[in-house]
Parts: sequence; structure tokens; C-alpha cells
Amino acid sequence: MPTSPDVTPLHPSPLLHAIGLVKVFHASGGREVRAVDGVGFSIGTGEVLGIVGESGSGKSTIARMVLRLIEPSAGRIMFAGQDITALGDEAMRRLRGDMQIVFQNPHSALNGRRTIGEAIAEPLRVQTIARGAALHARVDRLLDLVSLPRAFRHRYPHELSGGQKQRVCIARALALEPRFLVLDEPTSALDVSVQAQILDVLGELRRELSLTYLFISHNLAVVRTLCDRVLVMSQGRVVEEGPVAAVFANPSQAYTRTLLDSVPRLPRI
Amino acid sequence: MNALLAIEDYHLAIPTFDGPAQVLNGIDLALDAGETLGIVGESGCGKTVLARTILGIGPGRAACTGGRILFEGRDVAAFSERDWRGIRGVKISMIFQDPMTYLNPLFTIGRQLGDAIAAHARAQGAPRPGRAERRTRAAELLAQVALREPQRALDSYPHQLSGGMRQRVLIALALSGKPRLLIADEPTTALDVTVQAQVLRLLRDLVDRLRLTVVMISHDVGAIAALTERIAVMYAGNVVEEGPTTRVLARPLHPYTRGLLAALPAIDGEIRRLAGVPGTIPSLIDPPTGCRFHPRCSRATAICAAERPAMRRADPAHSVACHHADLS
Repeated sequence: MPTSPDVTPLHPSPLLHAIGLVKVFHASGGREVRAVDGVGFSIGTGEVLGIVGESGSGKSTIARMVLRLIEPSAGRIMFAGQDITALGDEAMRRLRGDMQIVFQNPHSALNGRRTIGEAIAEPLRVQTIARGAALHARVDRLLDLVSLPRAFRHRYPHELSGGQKQRVCIARALALEPRFLVLDEPTSALDVSVQAQILDVLGELRRELSLTYLFISHNLAVVRTLCDRVLVMSQGRVVEEGPVAAVFANPSQAYTRTLLDSVPRLPRI
Repeated sequence: MNALLAIEDYHLAIPTFDGPAQVLNGIDLALDAGETLGIVGESGCGKTVLARTILGIGPGRAACTGGRILFEGRDVAAFSERDWRGIRGVKISMIFQDPMTYLNPLFTIGRQLGDAIAAHARAQGAPRPGRAERRTRAAELLAQVALREPQRALDSYPHQLSGGMRQRVLIALALSGKPRLLIADEPTTALDVTVQAQVLRLLRDLVDRLRLTVVMISHDVGAIAALTERIAVMYAGNVVEEGPTTRVLARPLHPYTRGLLAALPAIDGEIRRLAGVPGTIPSLIDPPTGCRFHPRCSRATAICAAERPAMRRADPAHSVACHHADLS
């Protein structure tokens, strides 16, 4: 199992570069849990990197550290050539326009008392980017982007299906025109037919807006569908890394093979 | 011969503020002893309500609005609470999705299995087995579900076991009364993929060894295909297609089954763009007329909105409810 804390960047100038990330949580009884234990990777501009692993592998912790929603215990995060590991709150707040996140559960990610329009407009208000008619027009454009009817701006979350809510969350994440999106299990709470729609939307947005994604998932087949490269994680460490096609067709590590063999296959159609 | 379980034109409605939701809309299914049936469908299709209704634990305010469910030839609607006590966990057992919720966190695994063993003895009018005997039987049950170190597990509390181990305990509990029918509702959904594979292998092995009769409910076609010989596809309260699992998956006849399979990302083969099923699931309070799938169906014509399609046979084992299905 490769345990080198760093992975040589495959890109001359990666958009995101994580070096030797470590996260230690303190459990009861003074026990230490190394949720992430020396993980490095880089994501080139326009690339989609998948992180796949079972529960407790550390994948969601990485997603949050990359955006500094939680602070790494050790290691560095470089974004667009800048070391953001120690940036102050104000600088980080400005940077958040460039890096956004979509969470797993769209039902808990939206405020039930706010309309869809208000939810999507929120980042624009917080960052005082637009107001009035300009804000209205931006929200319309964001709804268009995720293929929701513009009339949805007046609706409340409970009137929408899970897939529609996740589209709203994606629209909200795109409001500040970020270059980089962290997608943390964005389709895990959805039915497969809806999952296919959301994956399609994400693929199209990536092409249209030249977005870069870090895609976190426990679902290998979903990762294979959307990602260019994949990082396989287990117990806080990187087990294997490589282009999706190569890793899935010919995994070099036993753990990756076990994961792949565990997915139930359908009879060939 | 009578089917072990026969569901005949079963209709179920649940009252809501906006009127009754017609969650089951004429379900026909039959299961002989020794058969394995998978029921697959997405959220809200009625699969879980159907499973719970078979066991008489459906939604409290739900009302049967037509048809019946027969178990061993008897209408389950006529069962008294006393009858049910001799059926639930004895003749029909169920395993649920979330293995944590269905174990009592305050008692050891040994105590909970022992209680079930004592309850089954009581239901059969046998004397209450002693402490040592309960423990021996409990250990046997855990060994049957291939739980490592069964003696140690007996003295453990649920939180000390992993998700996969807890699901094995629940399967052991479900099998403790030697049920004639096992209902498995999303038994692997809450588990990690490697654990899921182990639990599916265990269930497959138990089905073969104990000749279990199983109804498995899942949204995961792959998990169903790993366990059941027959599959029924549900959509918005209807069974739209039913047949041998391999045949339905290899040659799906209903447009919804096709859409569902086309939406599945694959783990091998060519990486293709996924086609979702356009639109969203309909309201069951005001469901579409005719075929409930027609508003989302690319093949829909006038007849689809006007007339509910009957189940038609493509061959003796494989049937489909679609006006336009190619049966040749």
C-alpha cells in the first residue's frame, strides 16, 4: 500500500493541490482517530477527480478540509497556486466565491422557510454581488442552467422532489461562478433515474462552464461515469490512484479489486 | 396447489389532507414455497407499503379498497391480533434496512435472541427453554449466519458490533422461528459495498441451504438480481412487469424497466452517457389516467392516457402491462 504523503502532480499547474493532509479527531477517553492520514493529490483545471471509499475511509473529511470547512491537523492546500492553508477568515470568504460545495442530502441543505429564489440568491447577497433586477436575472439564469422552470423561484423546498432540490443546491453552488466544485455524494440520496439526470447535468455544466470537480462517492459505478481520475481510499489513506479507465479495468491493489468485485453485476444485456 | 402467498388485485389507499393517495393500485403477485421474488422500484412506488401490508404492519390509517392478500390460503385481513402473534416472526419474518434501529441497544445480542427463542417456544406451546438451552440455540443461530466468534457476540451490545454484524444478527433473529416466508426490505442498502456483497452471499447461501421462500424489496436491481429468481418491477403503485430475473433484465419489455436499466451506471464495459427517465414520479393523490407511466413515456399514445394496460404475457413466465410492448 503506497503511503507516501505526497503524490507528484500530474499537471504542470494544478488548480488544486493537496499535500500531506492529516486530520486527527479526538475521541472520548483521549483516543486519537486519524481520519485522514497523509493524503496528497492534485486536480488539473477542468478535470474531475473522484475519491471513492467505504464509510470511515476519510473521503468526506477530505472534502471538508479542501474548502477549510474543517481545519487540517497537518498538510497544505494550494488553490490556483496560492497556499490557502493559513488564510484568514476574510480572505477565505472572498475565495469561497471560487470554490463551492454540494452536499449529499438536498432535503436538509435547503431552508424550508425560504423560497427557491431566495436560496439561490443567498450567496449573491452575502457577497454583495448583485441586487434588484440584476439579482433577479442572475437567479433566472441559474435556474436555466440546471434545467428548472423559472417559476420555481416562488416555490418552497417541500414542493420539490429530491432531484429538483439537488438541482437547486447545484444552482446555489454555481451562483458565484466558482471554478471549483466539491461534490460530496451528490446523488446518494436520489433514485437511480434521478441520479442519471443529475450526473448528466453535472457533466454538461462542467463542459459549458469549464468547471473542475472533486467528486466524493461510495458508488464506484457513479465515479466511473463522471470522473477522469480516481483516488481509492481506505482507513484514511490512499490505496490506489489513476485514470478511471485503467483503475477499473485493471486495479493494481487487492483492496480496489475487492471493492470492484463487491458490486453486484447485472446479467449482460 | 395453492400458492404460499397470493396477492389478488390488491388496492390500498392512505388518507391525506389532499385526499386519498392510491398507493397500491391493483397488485397481482403469487409466490409458491421455495420461490424467491424481488420487488424493485424507486421511492414512492409502493414496494415497502406492500411488504409491510403482507405482514399486517402497513400504515395505520391505510384502507384496503379492493382485492385481498392470501397467506397459506387465508385472507390476512381476517387475522386477529392473536392470529398475527402466531404468524409474525413465526411463519412470516422480516428483515429491515437499518440494522441498528431494530435491535434494542440496552440488551445483549444473546438476551435478544434468547427472548425470540423463548417466544417461539411459547407460540408452539412448548415449555420455556432454560437459560443454557437458549444460549446454545442462540449460538447456533449466529453460527448459521456465519458470524465470527458467536460466543463473544452473544455477550455484546448492538453498538459493539459493525453494521454488517448487526444485519447478520437480524437475519438470525428472523430465521429463529423457521419462517415459511422471509420478507427482506432493502436488507443491504445501509451497508458498505464489501459488506453488502457478504450479506448477499449469506442470504443466497441460506436460501439454498434452508430452501427459504423470500420476497426481497429493493431499489437496487443489482442486489435483487444477486438473490432472486423472479423479479417484479413496480411503478406508482402498479406492477408493470414481472418475470424470471435474468429474462427481465436481458429483455426488458416495459418502457419504465428499460429506463431504469438505462439509468444504471455500469462498473465495467463501455462508459456511456446515462439516460435518466425524464420527468418525476406522479402524485398518487391525483395519478395520471390510464397507464400511470404515460406522462413520462416516449412511446405513449392516446390509448395510454385513456385505458389502463392489462398484464399481458410475453411467454408463460414473463408478463408486462404496456399497450405498446412488443410481445413477439
